[in-house]
Amino acid sequence: MKITVLVATTFLVGLHLQAQDTCADALPIGPGLHTVTAINGTENTPINCAEVFGTGVSSAAEWYTYTATADTNIFISTDLSGFPSIDTRVQVYTGTCGNLSCLDGDDDGGSGTTSYIVFAVETGTTYTIAFDNRWTSNGFTFELGMIEGPPPALELISFTGYNSGLTGTSRAVVDMNNDGLDDIVGVSATNVHILQQLEGGGFTSVNIPTTQADNTPSWSLAAGDIDGNGYNDLLYGGGQGATFMMANDEGTGFTEVSFPEYIFSQRTNMVDLNNDGHLDAFVCHDVDANVSFMNDGTGNLTFGQGGFGLTCGNYGSVFVDYDNDGDVDCFVAKCGCDPADLLMRNNGDGTFTDVAPLLGFADNHQSWSSAWGDYDNDGDMDVLIGSSSSGYHKLMGNNGDGTFTNITVGSGVDLFTGQSIEWTTHDFDNNGYLDIFGGGAMLMNNGDMTFSMDNTVPANGSVGDLNDDGFLDVVNGATVMYNDGNDNNWIKVITTGTVSNRNGIGARVMITSAMGTQIRDVKSGDGFRYMSSLTTHFGIGTDNAIETVEIHWPSGNVDIVENPSINTTIEVVETVTTAVAERNNDVLNLYPVPATDQLTVSGKLPANSPVRIVDATGRMVLMGVLTGNTLDVSSLPNGVYLLEVELADGPVKRSFVKQ
Amino acid sequence: MKKFILFLFTLAIVLIACRKEDFSEVSTATFDEADRLVLDVNEFPYEHLSTYRFFKGPMVNQLPVVGVLPYAPITPLFTDYAHKHRFVWMPAGVKAQVNGDGHVLDFPDGAVLLKTFYYDRVLPADEQRIIETRMLYKRNGQWAFANYVWNAEQTEATLDLNGSITPVTFIDDNGTQRSINYRIPAEAECFTCHKQNDLNTPIGPKPQSLNAPYNYANGAKNQMIKWVEEGYLASGYAKNIRTTVRWDDPSADLSERARSYIDMNCAHCHRENSHCDYRPMRFAYEETLDPVNLGECVPPDDPIAPSQTHIVARGNPGRSMLYYRITTNEESERMPLLGRTIVHEEGVQLINEWISSLSPPCN
Repeated sequence: MKITVLVATTFLVGLHLQAQDTCADALPIGPGLHTVTAINGTENTPINCAEVFGTGVSSAAEWYTYTATADTNIFISTDLSGFPSIDTRVQVYTGTCGNLSCLDGDDDGGSGTTSYIVFAVETGTTYTIAFDNRWTSNGFTFELGMIEGPPPALELISFTGYNSGLTGTSRAVVDMNNDGLDDIVGVSATNVHILQQLEGGGFTSVNIPTTQADNTPSWSLAAGDIDGNGYNDLLYGGGQGATFMMANDEGTGFTEVSFPEYIFSQRTNMVDLNNDGHLDAFVCHDVDANVSFMNDGTGNLTFGQGGFGLTCGNYGSVFVDYDNDGDVDCFVAKCGCDPADLLMRNNGDGTFTDVAPLLGFADNHQSWSSAWGDYDNDGDMDVLIGSSSSGYHKLMGNNGDGTFTNITVGSGVDLFTGQSIEWTTHDFDNNGYLDIFGGGAMLMNNGDMTFSMDNTVPANGSVGDLNDDGFLDVVNGATVMYNDGNDNNWIKVITTGTVSNRNGIGARVMITSAMGTQIRDVKSGDGFRYMSSLTTHFGIGTDNAIETVEIHWPSGNVDIVENPSINTTIEVVETVTTAVAERNNDVLNLYPVPATDQLTVSGKLPANSPVRIVDATGRMVLMGVLTGNTLDVSSLPNGVYLLEVELADGPVKRSFVKQ
Repeated sequence: MKKFILFLFTLAIVLIACRKEDFSEVSTATFDEADRLVLDVNEFPYEHLSTYRFFKGPMVNQLPVVGVLPYAPITPLFTDYAHKHRFVWMPAGVKAQVNGDGHVLDFPDGAVLLKTFYYDRVLPADEQRIIETRMLYKRNGQWAFANYVWNAEQTEATLDLNGSITPVTFIDDNGTQRSINYRIPAEAECFTCHKQNDLNTPIGPKPQSLNAPYNYANGAKNQMIKWVEEGYLASGYAKNIRTTVRWDDPSADLSERARSYIDMNCAHCHRENSHCDYRPMRFAYEETLDPVNLGECVPPDDPIAPSQTHIVARGNPGRSMLYYRITTNEESERMPLLGRTIVHEEGVQLINEWISSLSPPCN
């Protein structure tokens, strides 16, 4: 906020040059302009209440007090027209000298690097104001003034910070002690610090020493129960390789399993790649082919390379079922070397085929991560591929037939200039629509595939519910940014697999309420660096009931919970049924994968349905009517193709691979 | 006259030595050529460094045989305070060509570049330890990597391109004791920096970094001239080479020192067709006369904290992304990306002085 001041009508206070050098000598001030000739006070600020930028600290401060004459809001600004733009930082304390506590603080709230802060005051209370020399000792002018009424509404969603005391590198919000509540995880080379969330609020601090880890999660961390013993294991993605910390059967200790192979790790994930019911792991490799660690069923992992992108520049992998065929597909945001993104379609047999060129994803986008979710609640996964460097974002709407349409223009995303390496999606305001978190902002979903920006939000970090209030919080370093919440309703679902992997990673969770059906895919590892909760969270706006919660497990099993309680967490344990539910392939299914001469077309298709095949460039290569259930594709060159069958209510499309 | 006699005497010894070593070789070349190491690049890489016979006497002394020429860039890459011996060797009859002041020399097939990394005062014994000798060799127009890891006895080094870590506690040149987990790179790590247009490439041997005196065993001489004399560089190149300065030369211009430091430490990734060319910086020496290429007053793509308002915030190191990157040891934030695990304090001081000297401040 730029405050224009008529200098001629102001009273510059420069008379008490040495009076404000310590807290005890703080200069009482009232509304108006005040000039600091230089920050040279002998008493430094005891605590920084402003946002922390880097490791630099202050060594001196200038001290003032303000005693409120009314219950109102006060602003302090160094962002003043007609004065030089100085890089200031201001602290506002309550309490007495020697026993000050933070009320608020600001570093860069004004334009450029100036400060602007608004805080509420109560009549008769004295507030201590200090400017410190974190950035410069140069003099400047500031204004203190009153704002009538409540502070201006700058934000669509608000958070309140809390210092958790987490040590180590802050990397994860995930349930580590298997009590259904998210915990916070900080990692150092020889320790895992877990802040175990307590029922009713607060944390118990537990340090679990480890052997000196060969690799630390400097680039990313993923969590999941690889050995199925009930406690989540950790995967450290380091700059030179990968290390697993396998939790013991009590969740009280870790055994290090490090691999000697060189990996310049980027995003790490845990996911059942071959759908054998056992969790595998995946590591994006910056300078070589992506890496998989296959689980033999007993928690023993085997390093593998190949089959998931063979070139370098792999930054952000995420596993979702984009084509609603019941298995997880893999998207890799790419950057630098060979920046064409990958969309690896799961062939259902443990192999994956890149369909990015076919579906409009293989462009030179320079992205480090992507946010996959059903933004319009129409039953399929859309994606925001957020920019890290190219300057534009790409919002792709899923057409429901395995193809996508670029719907960036007009969505609000096209006007958003923030960039970052982190892009994730959650429903932060519980309105039943997924918001986008990245680029230094939250893009709040308006429910109609348009988004409104709020850039007052925390920096990106691990996301989960750290006070069990149903609103998602964010961890930045040691600071928990608690979501202040609102009146909207919610439900959280813990997916406990039996035939499928224990965490239910890869499961599709669907809830239906009056507003419609929402979907989530359970995933370990989204965005670029952090591990966010494995508990699936939904907001439902003002709906006050949920008709069904449906879990479509990776095994094919389906569990349905009717009329669950809302504003609570439910656990759904995979029911072992003899009849494995039919995949959502009843309309159109193509096999084998890959096809060589004959492609079998199955599904509920009328006889003589018009059919056409287009290649990766969109060129039609075959057209006709479907007379039997096979198509001769022997004449087609090897590659990825899209088959379209024209039905009465529109075309149905599936991709297939010719080899 | 005295000189002439001495010359004949030397000639006789050399001829005798040659005959003793290799009776079958018939050579019409000069004495140096006759004595020059003969290697077949098609047999590379050997399992052991000693097989090449690059060094005379105990290999640990790193005394090169005739034709293996030591060299040093004017400003070196900082790698955790390691010291380095660098050597170049080429087969007889071929030589490199100058291909622009800021471009790596155009080397002939068979050329070998060696770089031995060592510390002088390694604890507990306070003695020298050679850790590795990295090698680039050119075959069929393509550069290839080899890396030789030295044994504890310092008698042999063995081919290993898988990468590993070895702890080193040493006393640096200023007497400060430091402990590091020294990283010996895997092949893919070599390629991350030694990459241009997705092909392997050397980094150091450019005219801009070689055009300065080197203290050879028989006296100081400009390296470019020495290479020409040695038969390793085609003469006739333009002599007005745009040359970097020593980063630690207090008599040199501060901006030149900073640009030279940034070139050698950062430009292998932050230049066109390199590992990180999707970011806006262009840090090669010939590009950094343009302050925008240096990042002056350019907002970073992705600040780690909002305080980092510019890649280089004139007059304000604390607001400069570049400065933050070289002062942090956090693996995913530090720069350069590879080759450094601890802060180069003297380099940081240089960059601090340089950024502080810049004006006017960015908006």
